[in-house]
Amino acid sequence: MMLRRTDRAAFAVALVSRLRAHGVRVGTTGLADFVRALEAAPPDSRSSLYWTARITLVGRHSELTAFDAVFAAVFDSAAGEPGSHRRSSLDTAPTRGRPDDSHAAWQGRSAGADEPGSGLPWLTLPPATGYSEDSDSPFAVPQRLPSEVAGLADIPFEQLTAAETELLGRWIETALQVWPTRTSRRVAVGASGHRISIRETIGRARRTGWEPIHLVRVKPVERPRRVVMLCDVSQSMQAQAAAYLHLMRALVLVSDAEVFAFATTATRLTTVLAHRSAEVAIEQATSKVVDRFGGTKIATNIQGLLSSLHGGSMRGAVVIIGSDGWDSDSPAELAAAMARLRRRAYRVIWMNPRAAAPDYEPRVATMAAALPYCDAFLPADTFRSLLGVVAEIGRTRGTSPEKRARREFSRPPGADPGALVRVASPK
Amino acid sequence: MQEFADAAAVQRCLDEVDYLVDEGLATALFFALRLGQPLLLEGEPGVGKTAAAKALAHALGTPLIRLQCYEGLTVSEALYEWNYQRQLLAIRLAESHQERLTDADLFTEEFLHERPILRAIRYHGPVAPVLLIDEIDRADDEFEALLFEFLGEGSITIPELGTFTATRRPVVILTSNRSRELHDALRRRCLYHWIDFPEPARAAEILRRTVPTASEPLIASTTEFIGGVRRLDLDKAPGMAETIDWVSALSTLGASGLVRSDILRTLVSIAKTPDDRDTMTASLDHLGYGG
Repeated sequence: MMLRRTDRAAFAVALVSRLRAHGVRVGTTGLADFVRALEAAPPDSRSSLYWTARITLVGRHSELTAFDAVFAAVFDSAAGEPGSHRRSSLDTAPTRGRPDDSHAAWQGRSAGADEPGSGLPWLTLPPATGYSEDSDSPFAVPQRLPSEVAGLADIPFEQLTAAETELLGRWIETALQVWPTRTSRRVAVGASGHRISIRETIGRARRTGWEPIHLVRVKPVERPRRVVMLCDVSQSMQAQAAAYLHLMRALVLVSDAEVFAFATTATRLTTVLAHRSAEVAIEQATSKVVDRFGGTKIATNIQGLLSSLHGGSMRGAVVIIGSDGWDSDSPAELAAAMARLRRRAYRVIWMNPRAAAPDYEPRVATMAAALPYCDAFLPADTFRSLLGVVAEIGRTRGTSPEKRARREFSRPPGADPGALVRVASPK
Repeated sequence: MQEFADAAAVQRCLDEVDYLVDEGLATALFFALRLGQPLLLEGEPGVGKTAAAKALAHALGTPLIRLQCYEGLTVSEALYEWNYQRQLLAIRLAESHQERLTDADLFTEEFLHERPILRAIRYHGPVAPVLLIDEIDRADDEFEALLFEFLGEGSITIPELGTFTATRRPVVILTSNRSRELHDALRRRCLYHWIDFPEPARAAEILRRTVPTASEPLIASTTEFIGGVRRLDLDKAPGMAETIDWVSALSTLGASGLVRSDILRTLVSIAKTPDDRDTMTASLDHLGYGG
């Protein structure tokens, strides 16, 4: 019998406070459960105490490692005994991003001190200025440009100072007004619905002597569609990385988006970029990405993300890839990864800083290989062109699956990459 | 209800119905039974989450009530629904008899359709039933919120009738594949256990129980092979369920050991995408089954 003559409450609180200090989120309910469990079945071995504590106190898989470490440190007579069971030979997870690798693997050392400094948190109401980069688009709604910002919006990223980048980042945030939606399976009462809700109709009939006079209809609820953005932060994208981080932050803040940065490995930035302060968010993101400005492995990273826990978030999502298409993986690998991504995502948008040049052609073999799988290919070298990307994300709204299927049918992947350059808009 | 003294008793009891659990899962199920709290099981697909609930129900000799989750699940599908047709008939009947009907006449248990959760609460058998809320991550936030009263207090409230509280709390098992992050409020109300892929010895033991026709050398070599395959870079690594299917397939072919030609013929059981099939075929040499 372990813990003979131990004050259970004091013991539990001590263990829990130690767990909390090491990042395991234990609530009061968990603590109470632990004490009740200790009472119900007093543990008689280290292993039974381990399981009792783990089942009652730990609520998520990502915290198991921290729990094991604390538990081993406290009861380290046989350190690693129950924990080692979790890494038995059959359980060796494949090398690339399996569950929660994205959280655990990158406890970054800080890299790069050239990130945006002081912010200028003001915006003035501007004269309305048209956004007409893509004038044949039916969505060319005039954007309100703060006059100071208007001038900066056309300057390529590499010529902007950190403060200007941050200012433009805020501006992008305000520009994200139209968000793509999808039809969910949940229904709500709506006059234009075409299914009759018996529950609501009978409820209404109560008022009319149980005679169902008004038929109440329900229609599917529109939900915001998930947006996933993958941003290349390799050497060749150094100039654009800061601006893209601002776009990703805007996406995360406005709605349900998942964002990742990648060079040789992928890093999930969704949580850090959601910080209220842009400055802190960008700083944290920068320090979290340890391999920035290194080589690029686009194919490996896309495949890795698709297989990981976050692969599910790309199902039916609008996926944006921000990269110049230079990849150290082979074009065939990238094509395979993009094909898989295309099958899973709702739309794939590729933004490329090089594509703004008037005579641009996707000569890089990897870029050409990826193009057939992109619904839209957009230039992204200035903040004004980022606005084009924002408009493209919003454009996803209202495209019915039938229309999309027809569109795909008429343009089989692999037909003619060149035809896709600039915008392949869903008309 | 059968009272278990400790986790080992649960383990033995499940062993009798041919479901093998390790100490962790046994402890989790034991506390779910003893403390009367819901248990949230997570793990890769095909690791035996749903099977755990089924085996528990079987071992306790009580029905398994299953609620499959999907987006848009509402009160009408999960808790209860009024039988509107019968209500309308009752109204017509009352009219023809020149009677007056009140709300209280129409909203009685007579007109109530039970859905899985209410059925679990109002179950009157000798042993509390096992309620399996399967793949909760496939439901949406609204449904999670709907569950809170039931998970926390073991009761549900029907506005027209009042609150139903379970006399004996059903054993509630929730499963999740982690396709979506569950809300903290839901996690707080549950015990939590992460089911790992079993270690080789246990995997072999499970195969022995589930596929009695398979020969010992076949089981030994498949366990080893699956261990090797799970180390490969795959879209969908084969889980325990696939392994069982595969051994059944091999044993149906009459294989007594693992040979290359049989692996290729039965690869459909463990490779679930064309890419995985190619990867596995290409690594057969490396795994010791070269042609």
